[in-house]
Amino acid sequence: MRRRTFAGVLGLGLLLTAGTLALLLASDHMEASAFAFAAQLLAAWSFILGGLFAWARRPDNRFGPLLTAVGLAVFVGALSASNESLPFTLGWTFGGIFIAVFIHALLAFPRGYLETRLVYAIVGIAYVELTLGALLISFFDDPDRSCTGCPENAFLIVDSPNAVAAINGVLIAVGIPALCASLYVFRRRWEAASVPLRRILLPVYLTASLTIVLLAVALAAGSFSTRAGDTIFWAVVVTFASVPVAFILGLLSGRLAREGVGQLILELGQTHAPGELREALARALGDPTLRLAYWIPETESFADLDGEPVELPQGRGEELATMVERDGHPVAALIHHRSLEEDPLLVEAVAAAAALALENERRLAALAKAQARIQALIDAFPDLIFRMDREGVYLEYKGKPEDLAVPPDQLIGAKAHDVLPREVADLLVGGIQRAIDTGEIVTGEYTLELDGKPRDFEARIVRSGDEAVLIGREFTDRNRAQAELESLHAELQQRHRDLEHERDFIRTVVDSTPSLLCLITPGGHIVRFNTSLERLSGRRENDITRGEAFWDVFIVPEAREHVRAAIEQVVAEGGRGEFEDTWITTDGERHRVTWSTTPLRDDRGDPRLLICGMDITDRKRHEDELRRSRARLVEASDVERRRLERNLHDGAQQRLVSLSLMLRLAQARTATEPEQAEQLLGQASDELAQALEELRELARGIHPAVLSDRGLSAALEALVSRTPLAVDLELLDDRLPEPVEAAAYYVVSEALANVAKYAEASSVAVSIASVNGHVVVEIADDGRGGADPAKGSGLRGLVDRVEALDGRLLVESPPGRGTRIRVEIPCE
Amino acid sequence: MPNRILIVDDHPSFRATAKIMLLADGFEVVGEAEDGRSALEAVERLRPDLVLLDVQLPDMDGFTVVNELRRRDPYKPKIVLTSSHDESDFGPIVARCGVAAFVPKGELSGAALRAVLR
Repeated sequence: MRRRTFAGVLGLGLLLTAGTLALLLASDHMEASAFAFAAQLLAAWSFILGGLFAWARRPDNRFGPLLTAVGLAVFVGALSASNESLPFTLGWTFGGIFIAVFIHALLAFPRGYLETRLVYAIVGIAYVELTLGALLISFFDDPDRSCTGCPENAFLIVDSPNAVAAINGVLIAVGIPALCASLYVFRRRWEAASVPLRRILLPVYLTASLTIVLLAVALAAGSFSTRAGDTIFWAVVVTFASVPVAFILGLLSGRLAREGVGQLILELGQTHAPGELREALARALGDPTLRLAYWIPETESFADLDGEPVELPQGRGEELATMVERDGHPVAALIHHRSLEEDPLLVEAVAAAAALALENERRLAALAKAQARIQALIDAFPDLIFRMDREGVYLEYKGKPEDLAVPPDQLIGAKAHDVLPREVADLLVGGIQRAIDTGEIVTGEYTLELDGKPRDFEARIVRSGDEAVLIGREFTDRNRAQAELESLHAELQQRHRDLEHERDFIRTVVDSTPSLLCLITPGGHIVRFNTSLERLSGRRENDITRGEAFWDVFIVPEAREHVRAAIEQVVAEGGRGEFEDTWITTDGERHRVTWSTTPLRDDRGDPRLLICGMDITDRKRHEDELRRSRARLVEASDVERRRLERNLHDGAQQRLVSLSLMLRLAQARTATEPEQAEQLLGQASDELAQALEELRELARGIHPAVLSDRGLSAALEALVSRTPLAVDLELLDDRLPEPVEAAAYYVVSEALANVAKYAEASSVAVSIASVNGHVVVEIADDGRGGADPAKGSGLRGLVDRVEALDGRLLVESPPGRGTRIRVEIPCE
Repeated sequence: MPNRILIVDDHPSFRATAKIMLLADGFEVVGEAEDGRSALEAVERLRPDLVLLDVQLPDMDGFTVVNELRRRDPYKPKIVLTSSHDESDFGPIVARCGVAAFVPKGELSGAALRAVLR
């Protein structure tokens, strides 16, 4: 496609050349000057060929086509050689159009497009002046005035030299500043250009500036468009034609620079200091601003030689990055001026030549980065680091001088045995040799006295070639802290144990105390309670009981409201109170409990109420029993009095009344009826004897005199002698306290009476013995048994009498197997 | 001179001795009773002029028997209370119950009864 375009352009150029030659040869009014023709052709073809060259090199840059267009536009002026009016007029009027295209091309150089408003304005003025301006002049300018034999001006309206002069004046007034402005643009671009760009710009801007200056002069002279043979015009043509040549020369200078690559390769062959590679590459590329960015694979980013990260340029800025690869892997990026885009082959050649060196330098950069990292790590270590040889000679160290055994200037080159205590030196040198021989990491601990203070170190020894690196870390503070920590820990454990003992003690006390303990919230909800209360209530201290109201769990239903109100009042009044209520178990068993409340705070500081209760059910029962026993004793005493009164009244008293009556009757009849009187006296004597016997019996029932006078044994012998039973009697010789003897006597007396009345026994054994400070009385018969002490007041009264002396009475009376009554009374 | 007597006492020996003594002193002993209930029945049946009434009876005391007799029967025999105790042992109740006299058993005789009935 491009080749066809180029062929077309070349063809057109040749056609125009031929046409121009033909017109000149046939022209009536223009001499076929070989010189003029050659100059024209030189200018035209210089631009056509230069343009095609540029076009071929950078097809996407419009500078090439623009240069070509300048060359083709040169041929427009050739039409003025025509003998016909219209072609002549067109050539004569628009022959200068190539100048506008030329200015356009120059201002588009080197990028191929116009940039600023100023540049647009300059190019616009050029086109307007050389088209509309020239056309306007042609309306008033008759060529006959300066040209003999020229054809008619086809555009002429009126021949007016004044009008032409006026229009020319305007065109010059606008055109010259525009040309000056283009020089100004060149200068500004030159100043902003980099070194390699200047190399390209210099020849073009020099020739172009000269051309423009000459053009301005020609314009000022008002001589272009009409006078072809003018001297200035020819000078313009020559400098004009040299512009494309200058352009090609500029490029060639770049191409020549590529020869520097050879030099570069030579330079790269030699070892060079870091940074010299950049300078060599900058020289080879002719770009002193060149920067190198090395690819660091670990971080997948670019960095410079110091390891600092580098961002590659993006977009249409002044800088451009060219990647350097080796074996398909990125090595580095050359960051160079965008103008080197003009010579990609150079950049590629440099990149290829430098790849190996860049790879090396990249490694160097990576190494520098790693080394910097390691150095930073080493610097950050608080440890002492020594490099030592096999014999224990210090080669290098890192650390604080105050941590060394000798001043730093005496350390390097010294042997460990010269500066350290023997046992430490032995340890370290032995470790160094072992580490070097085995490659293992050897560790050891040692203590050094530095500035009079013992300091503990841990040494880690690592092989490094045929040397060793020893890292000494101090742990004096750590040891001290460790010791302190251990002591604290031990103390803490001791306190913990003490607390546990205390807690166990309290728990044991709480659980073994017979007191019923229950901890509740001020609202009455159970927090926990002790074993005694568990045992009493049958409740377990589980989640269900916890949180329930105390009264709902432990108090009988009818007292719950009362207890709730009592606790509420106690809480309101400070927490202390004493109560007695009936508590209830899970089995419905009722217990009488006296309880008190004490305010306290639990281990979290929450207010609590401690309920401390005492089960007094048994005490109450004993008290009741005692009360009943007393009542029974009183009653028994009353009964006994009534019995006595009755017995006296019914017995001895009646007999004495009768005796009294009989004696008075006998007295009244002594005289009249002496026989009857004697009979009455006989009856009276019997009455009297019976009355006496009854009185004696009565007295014995009240308290047998023999018991108090002669003791229990004598009294029992007397009792047994009056009993109609066969009694086997076993007695004590010693006297006993009177209440004990009385109790024993009445027990035997009542028992024998019962045997006689109910037992149907054939024999009875009565024994009194002293056993372990107790008097033991036993009455055993071989009767029918089945006696029940709960029935009948006799036995009951005896139980009361015995219990009053802290004794006890036991009855064994299995039916059909006799009855055994055993009484034990303490007797110290 | 009313002399028909009912002897009320729970002691047979006293009843026997008293009957001999009163018979000897010219009284007619119309009957004997051993407790309060049989005494009330005997009064209704035998209509005695005089009831010799022991204070201490097994079922009710003599004062109760007196009150019962007064309450249930328009017939009003003379009543003489007797006891082996002294009158002072019973206090003012003896005077209040409206009997003819109180004679201790040891002082009982026909003459003593006549003196009361006169």
